[in-house]
Amino acid sequence: MPPMRIRLDPWPVDIEGGQLGLQHFEGDLIDIETPRWAAVAAKPVPARLHTVYVVDGKRRMESRVFIEDEAGEAGMGGFGAYVVGAVRMCPHGSRQAELTDVKARRLLAHAPGLRVDPYRLSPRDPHTGTLQYTPIVTESADPLAPLHKLQQVMLAEEQNLSHGLASAVPFSEEDDREALTSLTIQDGSLRSKNLGGAVVGCVKTMQTQYLPADRASLLSELRPGERTPILHMKYANSPYTRFIWYVRLCEAAFYQHPMSGVMRLEMYAPDEPDFLPPIVREVANVSGNLLCRLASRAHKDPRAPQNLIPTAALESAMTRAMGSADLVTRRLRAHIARELGVVA
Amino acid sequence: MTFGEDGERLGRVLGTEDVTPTVFWFAVAPGASVGLDDLVVVRTMKPDGREVRFYGLVDNVRKRHEGVTFESDVEDVVAGVLPASVSYAARVLVTRVDPEHFIPPQPGDEVRHAHGSDLDMALSADKMKEAAFPAGLLADGQPLPLNFRFVNGESGGHINISGISGVATKTSYALFLLHSIFRSGVMDRVARAGGGHTAGTAGGKAIIFNVKGEDLLFLDQPNGRVQEREAEAQVAKGLSADRYTLMGLPMSPFRDTQFLAPPRPGSSNNAIVPHTDQRAQGVTPFVFTLREFCERRMLPYVFSDAGASLNLGFVIGNIEEKLARLAAEGEGAALLVSDWEPEGDGELPDGITFDALGKTRLETFDQLLSYIEYKLLEEGDGEGDPKWVLKQSPGTLRAFVRRLRGVQKHLSPLVRGDLSEAQARQYRPNLLGGAQLSVVDIHNLSGPAQMFVVGVLLREVFEHKEKYGRQNTVFVVLDELNKYAPRDEGSPIKDVLLEIAERGRSLGIILIGAQQTASEVERRIVSNAAIRVVGRLDLAEAERPEYRFLPQSFRARAGILQPGTMLVSQPDVPNPVLVSYPFPAWATRRDEVAEEVGQSVEEVGEDWLGL
Repeated sequence: MPPMRIRLDPWPVDIEGGQLGLQHFEGDLIDIETPRWAAVAAKPVPARLHTVYVVDGKRRMESRVFIEDEAGEAGMGGFGAYVVGAVRMCPHGSRQAELTDVKARRLLAHAPGLRVDPYRLSPRDPHTGTLQYTPIVTESADPLAPLHKLQQVMLAEEQNLSHGLASAVPFSEEDDREALTSLTIQDGSLRSKNLGGAVVGCVKTMQTQYLPADRASLLSELRPGERTPILHMKYANSPYTRFIWYVRLCEAAFYQHPMSGVMRLEMYAPDEPDFLPPIVREVANVSGNLLCRLASRAHKDPRAPQNLIPTAALESAMTRAMGSADLVTRRLRAHIARELGVVA
Repeated sequence: MTFGEDGERLGRVLGTEDVTPTVFWFAVAPGASVGLDDLVVVRTMKPDGREVRFYGLVDNVRKRHEGVTFESDVEDVVAGVLPASVSYAARVLVTRVDPEHFIPPQPGDEVRHAHGSDLDMALSADKMKEAAFPAGLLADGQPLPLNFRFVNGESGGHINISGISGVATKTSYALFLLHSIFRSGVMDRVARAGGGHTAGTAGGKAIIFNVKGEDLLFLDQPNGRVQEREAEAQVAKGLSADRYTLMGLPMSPFRDTQFLAPPRPGSSNNAIVPHTDQRAQGVTPFVFTLREFCERRMLPYVFSDAGASLNLGFVIGNIEEKLARLAAEGEGAALLVSDWEPEGDGELPDGITFDALGKTRLETFDQLLSYIEYKLLEEGDGEGDPKWVLKQSPGTLRAFVRRLRGVQKHLSPLVRGDLSEAQARQYRPNLLGGAQLSVVDIHNLSGPAQMFVVGVLLREVFEHKEKYGRQNTVFVVLDELNKYAPRDEGSPIKDVLLEIAERGRSLGIILIGAQQTASEVERRIVSNAAIRVVGRLDLAEAERPEYRFLPQSFRARAGILQPGTMLVSQPDVPNPVLVSYPFPAWATRRDEVAEEVGQSVEEVGEDWLGL
């Protein structure tokens, strides 16, 4: 019997779940690239791939509210803000990375059946801007509905942004009109339906162990930049199908579990598991080189290397775009005080 | 809309740094370029709707990566992996707030380049009106106005220039200021505005003591290189015209000049020729007669360290008095004494002559010294003449004589009794009656003789002005003030300089003093200067209290100033301003003298041979 071994999860303990979860996966997994289960070396990034976008979104609930409209109806709602944005960069390092489309939008989500006007908070000082909240109806009167609505709107926006920026993925063998010239890396798992862009989702954690035990050992053996073959995946209770593969971004430290530098990548797949679009294979081939360049380092980011450098920069830019939560709450309070004629 | 409102937008006031009425930072807008010394204007609105404008000067600029936390992130930014922006910010020292409501500007307020009327406000030129004259060019090619009322003694006076030597900028800048004062017409404008109480340029005089080389003996000659050098500077600085044109000054040498030099010592048959090596023509030698020496009480200026001993000062005063009385009798250059009884051939120096009445005739400085020595130490069997000795101890007397003997060699050519009446008149230095600009070349004199000449001439100017008032302004340019007015010791020359510094401005004598280190000059002289100019400084020197008028950032910069740039501080503007001034249009060395059209080959040859 081998001796007992304990090794550390690399992520800080206050992040829920850690990097490794290893829940059992129920669904279908099909070899689509090759039946040979072995590491695939990374290929260099082709010259025609000139732009890589890293896209992420963020939302914040700023205040829960109780609304009474002019007709005397009352209900719950919430002031919320969300922001989606992208980092545009060149995979060859020929120009500087830049933030694009990082803009906060604000919603006043409210229960159905209320008449709500756009809410505009004017500044107390010049040069400090106004806050404009657009009303939006939630599906139900549930107290958590405003938060869900906010999340929904944000994800839809993120999805639109991701696919709008990327090259299209053709879904037939004959279609060779599209080449991979721009690729979007989206933070986290792919959600909702496929809009047809070359979007690759980066899943930082391994909460679910998709691979059977005999295949999982390859994850520990990958060297930085290498990937597993591409698999076609279908969840047991979800209509969406994906291509998935794993990439190693860096060596695991001796005290960490051996899968600590490994990341799972996802791309949208057609339902029928009989066709691997060439662009997906191309993305998988360059993913090792690309992601090793973008991987963060432990002393700079607690979720290194999976939390990519552009993602971390984007996250802080998005937080900044939403403004200080304290100040926004104070502005809301001061505004309501003025509306009610109370001297604040 | 005034012209000033059209200034290019440079950025917005930062809200992440403190904004105060005197100092604030602004973020430089993309595409704008802001450097040190740029003049800016900010308009802010008070809640009551009234506008307050802040005028200031950029004294610090910085760039940094924004949005990154780690210093090593710079690699990722350059590699195109990490998005970051470069933040470019500048700090403004406010020079003026108008109206004087000392509120801070609002973060986000626009910062604009100060042009036209805004520039005038930033530099307080609107207050100067007709008294403004150019003191050099600002970084952006606009002239810096200097207030002549703070130069001519009306509101303030005197100019002090500090800077290490070798960079050779102190004298150049002083000359440039003189050129600007005389040729910009400011003296006439101020005279007219003052109702004619002062004479303007016509009455203005300048006296320059040339203490090193023969640099200043060619000020009346055009500089052969100025066109070329100004054309270079115009291209290098991206100016629209040469710097003289931009300041409205003629690119021409000084007019109406005279050059004075001491006589060459030991020349054959006692001919009086100027002691200069490079220029012989147009230089007038100057000498003092022995009678003038006594009559006009020049003796104290022989002793630059008289303050060291009280007793010595007493003896000097006494002898000075005795000599003045001797000189009151008779006339001519020589002195006649009746009480020097030659007792034997060996007792008297050679060349002593006697007049008809049997009086001894003193014709040289050496003879005067021998006579004094006789009166103090030899007469009456070594007791001396009691009226001269006045019970002073022989030690003090000997010290006095020894010091006199020490300078004998240096002063003999300068103080002479063997001159005819006509010669004495011809060679008497005439600083105030003659040309507009007098250069007194003393570089060939030894230290004590330099002190003597400067002290005597300055006192004469001072006494003249005391009699005739401030009608005509006299500018005195003196380098190496630390030698003439050191901080720690007293001397008659220092007394004269102090008088000029403290009372001169009301008499119309303006001292344009220069020194390497202001910390070594008498504090009262430096502190009386209304205009202070700093060239390159030793960094340790720049931290001395004398330079507190420079903000810290300027003190650091004083260490890297190049020749041709100066920091100018004037009372109207609370912060110093960096200016560049043009290459001299006058020759400062012989090889710079432009070939005069029409000068014959023989003349040029004679010039070169010093014939």
